[in-house]
Amino acid sequence: MSTSTIAPQIARFARAVRDALSDLPDEERDELTEGLEADLTEAYAEDLANTLPDPVEYATELRTAAGLPMPAHESTSWTRGIADAWASTRRDLASAIRRNPAAVHLIDFLDAVRPVWWIVRAWVASWGLAAVFGGEGGFLPSSGLYWVVLLLFVVVSTQWGRGRWGFRGLPVLITVGNVIAAVLVLPVVSIANDWQRNVEYAYYDDGPGDLTGVYLDGQQVTNIFPYGHDGKLLDDVQLFDQDGNPLSTAVQGADGCIDPECETEGLWIPGVNVDGITNFNVFPMRMAPGVFSQQQQRLVRDPEQKPQDRTPPFDGVPPLIGKVSANND
Amino acid sequence: MDATQLLKGVLDVAVLAVVEGEDGYGYDVVRRLRAGGLEEVGDASVYGTLRRLYSAGALTSYVVPSEEGPHRKYYGITPQGRSMLEVQRKVWTEFSTTMNRLLQEGAA
Repeated sequence: MSTSTIAPQIARFARAVRDALSDLPDEERDELTEGLEADLTEAYAEDLANTLPDPVEYATELRTAAGLPMPAHESTSWTRGIADAWASTRRDLASAIRRNPAAVHLIDFLDAVRPVWWIVRAWVASWGLAAVFGGEGGFLPSSGLYWVVLLLFVVVSTQWGRGRWGFRGLPVLITVGNVIAAVLVLPVVSIANDWQRNVEYAYYDDGPGDLTGVYLDGQQVTNIFPYGHDGKLLDDVQLFDQDGNPLSTAVQGADGCIDPECETEGLWIPGVNVDGITNFNVFPMRMAPGVFSQQQQRLVRDPEQKPQDRTPPFDGVPPLIGKVSANND
Repeated sequence: MDATQLLKGVLDVAVLAVVEGEDGYGYDVVRRLRAGGLEEVGDASVYGTLRRLYSAGALTSYVVPSEEGPHRKYYGITPQGRSMLEVQRKVWTEFSTTMNRLLQEGAA
C-alpha cells in the first residue's frame, strides 16, 4: 500500500526512533510516532542538505516535548557517555562532510553499501568463533554447524543494521563490535586465505591415494599363499598378471608387522633369480626382523636374524580333481 | 542567552497559535513556526508538543490516508485549546511588556 513510497533511510530512522521509545506502552508510542514517516519525508524532501539526526536523541526530544518520562533506569554509565560522545562526534563530522558535494556522494554511496558491511562483520564474527573452537577452514565455514552460525550472525547483524531487535546498550555494543570487526577484517582475510590454500594443498596431497601393490576388495594384499593341485602349500611361486607384470605385493624397504600384535616389525624379503635380480612377486614371501636405524631413519634388516616364513592361513586346502569343462551349471 | 531555551517555555502557546486558524499536520506546523520566525525550532519538539497538547485536551487529531505517501496526522484546536491560548496570550503579553520595560530601564 502507501508505505511503499517511504524512502528506506526514512523508514529506518523511524524504526530506530520507535525502538528508542520501546519502554513506552505500545499505544502511547504509536500515538507519538503516528505520521512520523510522512512528516520526515516532507521535511527531508524539502531540504536535501538536511542530514537525519541521531534517532535516539530525536526520540528523547520527542518524548520530552510530549511530557513523557524518560526510561526508568536511564543509565548514566560510562559506556552511555562514550556512545553519546561518539554520536555527537559523528553528527559534527556528518554536518562538516555535508558541506562538500563530493563527500555527500561518497557518504550516500557508503550508506547504500552498508548491508555489505553487515554481512562482512557477521562473517568476521563467525570466522573468529570457528577459529576459537578449532573449526578453522578457508573463507567459508568448515562444517554445517558453522554455516548455521554464519547464517544466524548474518541475520542478527542485518537486523541490527536495519535498526531492528534493539535493546538498551546495543548502540555501544555495535560501535565496539564494528571497531573490532574493522580492525580484524584484513588479518582474518589474510589468515583465511592461507588456510584456504592449505586446505587445497591437503586435498591435493591426499589425491587418489597410493595404490601401489596388490589389492583385494580395497584391502592391500601383503602376501600370497599358493596351493598346488594336491592342496598342499607351494613354495617359491612367481606370479604375474595378465599383462606380464610381476604381481609384487611389496617394494624394496617395505615393512610390516611380524606378529599379530605388531610388537616386532620386519622387512619383506624378495626372491632372487639366476640373473641376480630381486623380485617381490615370489610367494609366499618371507619377512626378516628389522631394527630401526637412527642413521637412515628407517627400518633396516637385523643382521643377526634370518628371514622367517610367514604362517600360512591353511595347512592345506582340498585337492583338485580337474577343471570344470562345460557349463558352470 | 539562548533563544532555544526561551522557546521551550513558549512552544505550547506558539503551536496553539499556528493551528488556531487552520488544522495542520506535524511538519506543516513546523513549517508555519519556522516561517513565523522560529527558525531554530526542532521538529521532534513540535511533534512532541502536539502530542502533549492533544493529551491535555487542547487539540483534536485525525489521520488522513494518502494515496501516494504515508498517512498524515492532522491536529486541530478544541474549545479548551482556544481558552488555553487566550489565557496564555494574556500571560505572555503581560510578561513581555514587563520584560521589555525592565530591559529598557536596565539599558537606560
